[in-house]
Amino acid sequence: MTLKRVVVTGMGAISPLGNDLPSLIQGIENRRSAVCRMEGWELYNGLRCLVGAPAELKNEKAIPRQSRRSMGRMSIFSVQAALQALADAGMERDNLSSGRLGCIIGSTMGSAQSINDVFEIMLPNRDLTRMPGLKFFQCVSHTAAMNVAQFLGITGCVMATSAACASGLQAVGAGYDLIRLGKQDVVLCGGTEELHPTVTGSFDVLFATSSSYNDEPRKTPRPFDEGRDGLVCGEGSAILVLEEYERALGRKAKIHGEIIGYNTGASGVHVSHSNKDRMVTCIREALDDARVLPKDIDYVNAHATGTVQGDKEEAEAIREIFNDSVPVSSLKGYVGHTLGASGALELIVSLVMMDKGVVYPTLNLDVVSSDCRGIRHVTEPLERDIKIMVKNCFAFGGINAALVCRKFSHQ
Amino acid sequence: MVEQHIIDLTNEVFEESFEIEIEKLQPEMNIFNDLGLDSLDIVDLVVALQNKFGVRIRSDERVRNIRTLGDIYQFISALKNEGLSSSDGRGQE
Repeated sequence: MTLKRVVVTGMGAISPLGNDLPSLIQGIENRRSAVCRMEGWELYNGLRCLVGAPAELKNEKAIPRQSRRSMGRMSIFSVQAALQALADAGMERDNLSSGRLGCIIGSTMGSAQSINDVFEIMLPNRDLTRMPGLKFFQCVSHTAAMNVAQFLGITGCVMATSAACASGLQAVGAGYDLIRLGKQDVVLCGGTEELHPTVTGSFDVLFATSSSYNDEPRKTPRPFDEGRDGLVCGEGSAILVLEEYERALGRKAKIHGEIIGYNTGASGVHVSHSNKDRMVTCIREALDDARVLPKDIDYVNAHATGTVQGDKEEAEAIREIFNDSVPVSSLKGYVGHTLGASGALELIVSLVMMDKGVVYPTLNLDVVSSDCRGIRHVTEPLERDIKIMVKNCFAFGGINAALVCRKFSHQ
Repeated sequence: MVEQHIIDLTNEVFEESFEIEIEKLQPEMNIFNDLGLDSLDIVDLVVALQNKFGVRIRSDERVRNIRTLGDIYQFISALKNEGLSSSDGRGQE
């Protein structure tokens, strides 16, 4: 069976650095951090991390009420990112119901705010009579995929990957598989997540968040840095239009890059500790899938969230495969960890890097930690012809994912 | 005669929960055909009216007969005359 080629023809993003892709890129190029002190979080007893990277919810009323009523914050972000991606791809909204176009959007869970609302309404008096009817649709794990598909009239495969911080990249990987197997022609893929004290709190109770920089929020997270002390949650959504190559070619679509390999696998070792050996396996499997060698890789976009243990394991994994020959950077210093959105969001930025021939540096990486050395960290913008790149995501639950992309050529 | 504050509070529900302009909120308006509500919205309408007027109407059979905004004014007005709590039991959960 001949596998079909899969290219990226559209990209859209709502991020802590702005509500479209140009704003995100401009923010990164200006080395701006979107991390700030979160007002009101000090009221939560025991919450150590008081910083986050919020996105702005705006223009939501452009979505008609009867579509919007089933959407929490994260679904609105996804609809807006999807509309941007479709516009970028030059696809008309009224032409999405062929059954050959799908939608896969991942997130750690449903809308955190909506889930919180449900508990606040129901639990104090064990009373369901005050529950709005549409809350359920905002809370389910497939809320973003479902809402985007309904809003756009998509009738193909609709799925929600839910694997915490690997959700977004798993969505892209799943879309890639569907298209290369010939089951779909186009898939809107991506991830989404909300910033909420309950979300940060879930990492905070495990001491995985940054808590030493509450008064200097822009200095954290610090991927690979000796002063790193944990992750900072962010929010937003990123959507890519994945398209079968011949179809994209036939309609003369602008092509941002080609996906050539993907792997996802679990550590099977520990629910929260990253595992270097399984990371290595995942990346190697993705390279094998792409039929490329480590020496062919021009850039690695790291998962690196700024946790003490996760960054160390990832640096060791990258070192084992690539030594210090391949530029590596993490984007978490700019936008925090957007969790389920991060894989797709950072992939989009990486494709922009590929297009522009530059590697964006890791923000807040001032002194490389002794346990993260031996790889080629990028701390200043680096001109680089990125022909092939790898995007990593390593999630709680021991879920790993790696995607390989190539600069587009007709070869 | 329906009291003005019942009309005002009901209209607030339609403005706040269903984003309908105040100019459209006339008693003869059909809440489905004219104001655009559907069956899912009725769940939220009941919750919003309960919260706004402090009543419990989720199981009240009379909700099924509501067609116009004026029907809601009359229904709330009737509840008020019954003591707002459907003391005959029809409005109890």
